[in-house]
Formats: sequence, structure tokens, C-alpha cells
Amino acid sequence: MSADQLSRRRFLAESGGAASLAWLTLQLPWISALAGCAREDARRDADFVHLTPTEARTMRAFAAQILPSDDVAGAIEAGAVHFIDRALGTPFFAEIAPLIHAGLAELDFRAGAFDATGGFASLSGVQQVAIMKRIEGERFFAEARTLVLIGTFADPSHGGNIGRSGWAMLGKEDHEMYTAPFGWYDGQHGAEPTHSAA
Amino acid sequence: MNQRTYGENETVDFVIVGSGAAGGVLAKELCTAGFDVVVLEQGPWQQANQFTHDELAVERKNEMLNTGFEPFQSFRTTATEPMQRNPGRGMMYRRGVGGSSVHFTANYWRFRPIDFKERSVLGPISGTGFADWPVTYDELEPYYTKVDWEVGVSGAPGPSDPFRTRPYPLPPLPNKSSGVLLERAARTLGLHAQVAPMAILSQPYDGRSACMGCGHCYAYGCEFGAKSSTLSSVIPKAVSTGRCEIRADSTAFRVEMSSAGRTTGVAYWNKDGKEHRQLARAVILAANGAETTRLLLMSASPAFPHGLANASGLVGCNIMFNGGSSTTGRFEHPTNEYKGHVVSRIILDFYESDPKRGFYGGGGIDARFNNGPIGFAVNGLPEDLPSWGSEFKRALRDYYTHSVRFAAHMTTIPVASNRVTLDPEHRDHWGRPALCLTYQDHADDMNAKRWFRDRTQELMEAAGASRVWNQPVLPIDSGVHLLGTARMGNDPRDSVVDRYHRAHDVRNLFICDGSSFVTSGRGQPTMTIQALAYRAAEHIARFARSHEI
Repeated sequence: MSADQLSRRRFLAESGGAASLAWLTLQLPWISALAGCAREDARRDADFVHLTPTEARTMRAFAAQILPSDDVAGAIEAGAVHFIDRALGTPFFAEIAPLIHAGLAELDFRAGAFDATGGFASLSGVQQVAIMKRIEGERFFAEARTLVLIGTFADPSHGGNIGRSGWAMLGKEDHEMYTAPFGWYDGQHGAEPTHSAA
Repeated sequence: MNQRTYGENETVDFVIVGSGAAGGVLAKELCTAGFDVVVLEQGPWQQANQFTHDELAVERKNEMLNTGFEPFQSFRTTATEPMQRNPGRGMMYRRGVGGSSVHFTANYWRFRPIDFKERSVLGPISGTGFADWPVTYDELEPYYTKVDWEVGVSGAPGPSDPFRTRPYPLPPLPNKSSGVLLERAARTLGLHAQVAPMAILSQPYDGRSACMGCGHCYAYGCEFGAKSSTLSSVIPKAVSTGRCEIRADSTAFRVEMSSAGRTTGVAYWNKDGKEHRQLARAVILAANGAETTRLLLMSASPAFPHGLANASGLVGCNIMFNGGSSTTGRFEHPTNEYKGHVVSRIILDFYESDPKRGFYGGGGIDARFNNGPIGFAVNGLPEDLPSWGSEFKRALRDYYTHSVRFAAHMTTIPVASNRVTLDPEHRDHWGRPALCLTYQDHADDMNAKRWFRDRTQELMEAAGASRVWNQPVLPIDSGVHLLGTARMGNDPRDSVVDRYHRAHDVRNLFICDGSSFVTSGRGQPTMTIQALAYRAAEHIARFARSHEI
């Protein structure tokens, strides 16, 4: 991805993040449009550095099953796969990189059982789920799931959570500061106890 | 920050190892009293505006912690087992000026009079190091009050608090939904929820900003300086005296000794790994229960074959982490616990040990939900809910803004075989032996965790949660409260330092941090670490003035 593309995407992302939650919740179609831009970027397989185009397709299909896209943006719109591509080249995730590469190949291999020629990504959703249920207990699944979640919910500076769509998924407002009342129960509670000396 | 600097061959009055909760206080008090002080801090000197809310960097990569810098620690449950890589996160603390007072949650419970004399009141616990402290609450109270007013603590007295000579300097922080729900539960069960004392400013104080409610106290540094770390409270005052140098990026590896058995200074590595040495008339170790131990053991010599100040053999022994157990609940309406400070209400009705329970142990319960989005998504939901797919995604949304955890914090019993030692095989970044933890929970500690977990579950049900789930009660292999490894005492045979924190074996060596604790308290040690530091500083200054060092 060129620097220009990156800054365009980040510009869109920052624009989304600056809005208030109340406004955001009323503007879901707009967010979807924003997510659509991110999706277009995410589809540029040539931009991947540490995942091959085949691995990226498989990872994207896996991520889409972990946090699916529906009326609320999921892992794909959050750019989790781009995050993972970048993360696998960093020292912190270096230890699990071989496991992820091998696990993605294994997913494609297992797709062969369904006579698929296009790998895991070419399977139907039902078939993908069937394979994932079979490997739920394996380390690859746990680590790849965690990567998808980090890519969706980490600070956007790491390349995922585009437009802070991960935080919006949680219903989390996105401000640097908050004032009381914070939640419903303290809002109902009324006046704070006054300061009293011993 | 502009500060006075000292030459290495200039003999300063005190070199202090560690700039955290204790080291920061000791530095400020001693330089204010007119002494020249150099503080050696292994980590960097970050300023408030350098702190971020980056969960990946802070909570997963642990970039501020020792474990992010030096990931390997070894572990075994008994000394007869081989050392293995610690399966948990190990003994954790923050590297950097201000130490763990920068990233902690800032719960500031005082100990109570019973904490200091429990052995006398309850009797011995067979096979343990359960003992009275050589100081009392009455003796320490002026220093607790000093902490309140010097660093800035917000709160209000509770129904069974120990006496205090001055009120809190700052009114309570706002009550949160978690606090309101804990109050509701307490009323239903006939218990008392009280304001949690927090080392966070509820109002501007002493030239510092009030809390802005950013929601990143736990594990993060405060970018507003509203959390009362030593970085934001006493260290700037120490530096402004012109008699204190905070030497960051300086990793102490040996306390230097003369042939006469006195310390002459501390040897350390600078950022580039180059050896340096700071000469001093006296040395104070305030590096936390793990690192103070490592430094003493690494300072072994023919005159001190088992480690410096270790004639008792107790350096590194009796480590206590404080037990913990908890219950989480989901509520009908938003709680939004990700906003604001972490804890606003606590229950201390179960503070004291009660022989009727059949085991030793007491503690307190707080209300919170301090999971970040990543941590929550990875393993924050009840285990019987889907962990991926559309239902998982819906559950994340349903639970993240609607959950509260009631967390119990409690005693751990000092046991000599629970100890920190040097790993003979693994070396850290600098070539120091890695830390090894040998630890097995005392049966009473496991019972206490289970008993308190039952209480948090009852409270959560009484609070009206629509879904209640417990966190598993697990044995300890890791922790952030690093207590008891150089315990205080009057008898050199069963303690490492005396009641003024002077090493029994070395006249001009003092040790004051969590390692000084004799028993664990109920789970929030920093207030007591700082009260001890204020008291120690006063006595050390007195000894220095009267040439008794």
C-alpha cells in the first residue's frame, strides 16, 4: 500500500473516530460505506508483505467466520487481515508466525475434503464452519483467533480497527475523557456522598 | 527535566536503587532534609505526555514492564522440582521512573491495627513464617496521613476504618455503576460498601490536574498526572531541591562493599551496558521484592557467601503476592466501566480472619470491570458462550458495556519455602541470572480464595445481575505484589532488616520496599509501602545527622 493510500484510509478512519457515539449510532449506513472503502483496500492482495495472496484469502475467510460482517462491521471491515499481515513481521509475533503460516496451509488442505480447488476461502460458510469446529481446540485456532481479535480491537495505529469500527462493535464510546455519570446505575443514583472528616 | 547531576566518583550521601513507590518517597524526603541523593532506576524516564492508551503495547506486549523487557522467568512449586519456564506471567513490575506507582490501579487501603499483630492475636500457623511486625499501626499512622496529603489521596472514612489524625485531603471520586451495584448488594446482605480510597486526584491538587476519567488507570500511565504516582507527585519535588539526581536507564547489579563490611556504593550498567559505579556513604534498596532480592543475592562475596545481608538465610524467602478471586455479572442496563477510574466502592466486612471459617485469611472486595477491548474479546465472556461467530459478536456487544466484576483481594501466608532465587541457567538481557520463583499456595490461602469467591458470587446475585459467572480459583505462579522477601524484625535470626529498615548485617545498608513486609495485608500494599518509606526516611535522616550510619 502506498503512503497516499494509507493516509487516505487513515483520514477516513480518523474522521469516523472523531464522531460521537450518539451520532455514530444514527449513522450506521455511513459507517458501512466507510467500511466498504477499507474492504476495497483489504482486497488488494498485492499489498500484503508477510502473507502470500493465497494465505491472505484464507486468513480473510477465517477472520470473517470469527467476527462476521452483518449490519455491524466485522473483522474484515476492521482491517484485521492487514493488521495480521503486518504483525507477523514484528518481533512480538515472530514466535507464532510459522504456526500461522502452517495453519493456513492446513485449512486449505482440509478444504480438499470438500473437493474444493480454491482452498478454504472457496468453501461455503457452512463448510468453513465445519472445518473450524474440528480444529477449535488446536493452538493454531487459538492464536489465529487472538490475532483476528487484536486486529479488530487494537489501537488503530497498528493498522487494524479501521475507523475504530472494532470499538463501535462493542458499543464503546470513543473519547479521550469521560465525565460522570458513566453508566445507567450511577446516573440513577443521584448526588454523590459529601466529603466528611474523620 | 533539568536536574543536578553528580559525578560517579563524588561520594553522595545516599544512593537509592529504585524510583517507585518507596524509592521516590525516600529520595524526596532525604534530599529535602539536606542530603545528596542519587537514584538509580533501571528503566526510562517517561513523562506523562508519553503515556498512551495502546492496549496491544501496554497490556499484551507489556512494553512498560520488566516482563516485556526480560520475558524469561523460571518457576517450580517446590525446591526439589526442576526449574521450568514460568507458565504464567511471572513477577511483574514496571521499569521506569515512578516504578509500579505509574501503572497501578491506585487502590490506597491502609492496613489496620490487626495487620501488625495478628500472630499475637490469632496464634501461630504451623510451618509458616506468620509473625508480628516490629511496628504498630499507631506508630505508622502519622506516616499514612503524610502519604494522604503528600501524594494526594481521594476518599472518605468507612464504618470500621482505623483511626486517622487528619481527614482525606480530597473528596471521593465519583461513584461508578459498579459501586452503586456493590452498595445495592451490600445493603441486601447486611454488609457495608464504603468509598474506596484512591491515589487519584478528584480535584486539582498541589499544582496537578484532577482525574479526567479517561478509563486507563489499570496498567497504564496517567497522561494527566492525576494518578498520584511518585513520578507525578514527589519526584519532581525531589529534583527541584537541587540535591537529587534521578539517573534513569541505570541497572544496578552489585552493592559494593569495603573490607570493613560497609557498603561503598552501587555498581550498575548504563543504557549501553557499560559498567559504572556510584560512590555513596549509605545505600538504600527500594527495587521491589523481586529485584531487591536479586541484587542482594548477586552481591554475594567471600564475606557474604549467601548473598549480602543474608546471614538469616531469609533474603528472597516468604514471598507473598496477595490472593485473589472474583465473580463477574452482566446487568440489564449499561455500566460502561471502561470510563473513569477503576474502583469506587469496596466492602471490608470480611477484613479480619475469623477462626469459625476453619482457616486463616481475610480480605476486601471491590467492584470494577477493567478489561480492555482486546482482553475482553479474547477471554472476557462466560465460557459457555460461543467464542467466535455471529453469536460471539453479539455477546461482545451485549456484555462489554454491561458487565461488572466483584473482585476479592486477600491475605497470603508467609512461608519460607516460597521464595525468589537466582536461576543458575538462564541469563537476562544484561547477563544477570533470571529470576526463579518457587511457590506453592498454603492450603489456607486456597481456602480463602474459594471462600471469598463464594462471597463475591452471593454479592453478584444480590446485586441483581442477569447472568453471573465465576473466575476459576487458581494456584499462584505470578503476581504484581512482591512482598516479604527481606522482612523486618527485631531478631536478626528471623528477619533481614530491623524496625528502621537497616540491614541487620550491614550498618550502612537500608532496605525499604514491599520486601520489608512481615505479613501481606489484605491486598493493596502500596499505601503501606509508602507509609513505611516516610517513616524510614525520617529515621535514616536522624541516624545520618547523628553519625549513626
